[in-house]
Amino acid sequence: MDFSFNEEQEMLRKSARQFLEDECPKKFVRDMEEDEKGYSPELWKRMAELGWMGLLLPEEYGGLGGNFLDLTALLEEMGRALLPGPFLPTTVYSSLPILHYGTEEQKREFLPKIAEGKLIMTLAITEPSGRFDEAGIETKAIRSNNDYLITGTKLLVPDAHIADWFLCAAKEGEGITLFLIDAKTPGINCTLLKTLAADKQCEVILDNAKVPARNILGKSGAGWEIASKIEQWGAIAQCALISGCLQQVLEMTVDYTKERMQFGKLIGSFQAIQHQCADMAIDVDAVKFITYEAAWKLSQKLPATIEVSRAKAWTSDASRRVCLTGHRIHGGLGLTEDHDMQLYFRRAKAMELAFGDGDFHREIVAKELGL
Amino acid sequence: MDFGFSPEQEKFRQEIHEFLENDADAKGAKEEWAAGNGYGPHTWVIMKKLGARGWLTPAWPKEYGGLGLPAMYRALAMEEMDYFTGRGSRGVLCGIGMTGTVLLGHGSEEQKREYLLRISRGEIDFALGYTEPEAGSDLANLSIKAEDKGDYFLVNGQKMFNTACHYAQYHWLGARTQVVEPKYKGISLFIVDLKTPGITIIPIQALGFKTNQIFYDNVKVPKNCLVGELNRGFYYIMEALDHERTYTTSRLNGELEKLIQYAKTSGKSKDPIIRQKLAQLSTEMEIAKLFALRIPWMLDRGMRPTPEAAILKVFYAELQQRVINTAQQILSPYGQLKKDSKWAQLDGEFELEYTASLEGIITRGTCEVMRNIIALRKLGLPAR
Ligand SMILES: Cc1cc2nc3c(=O)[nH]c(=O)nc-3n(C[C@H](O)[C@H](O)[C@H](O)COP(=O)(O)OP(=O)(O)OC[C@H]3O[C@@H](n4cnc5c(N)ncnc54)[C@H](O)[C@@H]3O)c2cc1C
Repeated sequence: MDFSFNEEQEMLRKSARQFLEDECPKKFVRDMEEDEKGYSPELWKRMAELGWMGLLLPEEYGGLGGNFLDLTALLEEMGRALLPGPFLPTTVYSSLPILHYGTEEQKREFLPKIAEGKLIMTLAITEPSGRFDEAGIETKAIRSNNDYLITGTKLLVPDAHIADWFLCAAKEGEGITLFLIDAKTPGINCTLLKTLAADKQCEVILDNAKVPARNILGKSGAGWEIASKIEQWGAIAQCALISGCLQQVLEMTVDYTKERMQFGKLIGSFQAIQHQCADMAIDVDAVKFITYEAAWKLSQKLPATIEVSRAKAWTSDASRRVCLTGHRIHGGLGLTEDHDMQLYFRRAKAMELAFGDGDFHREIVAKELGL
Repeated sequence: MDFGFSPEQEKFRQEIHEFLENDADAKGAKEEWAAGNGYGPHTWVIMKKLGARGWLTPAWPKEYGGLGLPAMYRALAMEEMDYFTGRGSRGVLCGIGMTGTVLLGHGSEEQKREYLLRISRGEIDFALGYTEPEAGSDLANLSIKAEDKGDYFLVNGQKMFNTACHYAQYHWLGARTQVVEPKYKGISLFIVDLKTPGITIIPIQALGFKTNQIFYDNVKVPKNCLVGELNRGFYYIMEALDHERTYTTSRLNGELEKLIQYAKTSGKSKDPIIRQKLAQLSTEMEIAKLFALRIPWMLDRGMRPTPEAAILKVFYAELQQRVINTAQQILSPYGQLKKDSKWAQLDGEFELEYTASLEGIITRGTCEVMRNIIALRKLGLPAR
């Protein structure tokens, strides 16, 4: 048993925190909400130079050969800073599946470019059904000679408007197949959706988009197995973001209780406030440990279905509780647009919903328990 | 980061597990604890058997009867001992987990020789003497008086809810040795032989537990029974309380597993609401387990886990309530049937626990007091 990050992970965390404090202040986060692209290409380049895009990739593809715990340390800092942009879509949702399920040719084509920050990718699975399961996929792939024609609507695709490539799930006969699709393929139409977190989620309509058969990821018809794996990776990545985000909300809130005076006293001296802060602290510690345990399992390449779903179930609900308490304690000030609290509150909802909320993951836990 | 146990740790746990599974006295002890009486004849025997193997105090130095192992081994041993003590190893922890551990740090060499070996061999245990009628959460308000009479201390006063008095040999007594402000600076800690003349023990039946009132009437306590320094007793008590709040989760987890099994066999597991609830409890149980294991991990790094023990205590006690209430909901009308009643389900366990578990939210410091500790000690919020 060891509850601490190792020295290298602590160094990664420290340098990431410093870097993001300098490069991703809240003004930048607010600007990116207004910005049409929603990310800064210069910052993206600098992140690539730090090796972040290739953190999980082996050295032979230009990566650093890190594991899920290394990633967790980094993502906690990104969550704390509310870093906008296509980091997870490009890395965890796309480069990891290519690394694990791609052909050697696909790996060589995509991974070094991703590691260098020269390629942005995203994952197009969700559809108007809003479901996270195989039955939710209606987009069709029809074979014609050496190509497939893909038709359907993908929803809430993160950063699709700036992505160079998509990893897209489509129904082929009775099975699901995953395709690597060039975003410039004729017949693809992308529209930015307006969201609570002003993050960049899109509708992507594919109308007979032609994709060469060699762009299948994994086996034809066996794509859901990969999609489930991506959902697991995605869910734990979101947990790590939430963890960082909530740690910041707790710190910010506790700091506020030590400076705000009412009735001639610091509000932090009121027991009603103290107990709410204590509950936040319990939630945050729980979020950290349940996330770290699942990330550790993944880093050890152990089966982690139940651990990941426990983590996402708990963090999803805790994020609502902690952010709501943060708002309560900040009073009216927290509701103003100039205050950071509302940024965390809105972002936390997007993270809660990404890759399944508490109810969704509890059902997975129930199945794993044999219920 | 590492969320597994080493092969040596697994082996250590397994040995204790197999031993307890197959020992007739362990089964007898389990019945004694389930009846809420604490130690009975079987418990004394099983404690001695465990003690002979060093399993009661694996983290103590060898010279005092330990095995010289890290605190994580103690946590593993305690998890296995939950098998018979139940409800978070409450009573069985006193000597081996609280008083002995504090003596190890603050006791005189004479006291260590006198008590530690006997504790580690399972020969003696202690009753915790903190609470008084006017000193519950506000322990610093305690008033039982210990006067320095030159050769001895003369003790007069009363304690409330001192649970182990009817079977322990010694009292771990917090008493006032000086009237000062702040009050906690006038408290000293003593070890008192419960057979000393002038001591009267009167039983109290609480829900699920037998506990006691204890009266001191001109009780002479020898000078060498003072633990550590005069008037520093409150600090030692706080340290002992950190240990007391160090629950293990194996017993509560076992109850949840029984409940999950019941949901499966009774067909209730098809209900989506029950599925959600059980999945949530299993998630919370995992968190409780991690909170519990954080404590020995910190101790092994020389850290004092005060707010962390408070977090564990709140989380565990409140989770226990959720487990039992969910059990009652799943058992539905059968939940009220007692162990020996016709139609009782799961051996009436959750009927018993429905009341016996209340102790969890009150003792070792109430959940409210735990939240105070977390706010003040972990988050540094202003006291006033
Ligand atoms: C079965 C059982 C076994 C026990 N065993 C022992 C034992 O072996 N040895 C021993 O010494 N004691 C023992 N106790 C006593 C136990 O530790 C106390 O009951 C407990 O500390 C609470 O004290 P109290 O009962 O006086 O409640 P009070 O302190 O009067 O509390 C009443 C309510 O006020 C709240 N409250 C009090 N102070 C604060 C505050 N500062 N902030 C917010 N809320 C506050 C409490 O949380 C609670 O809700 C036992 C009790 C029971 C029921």
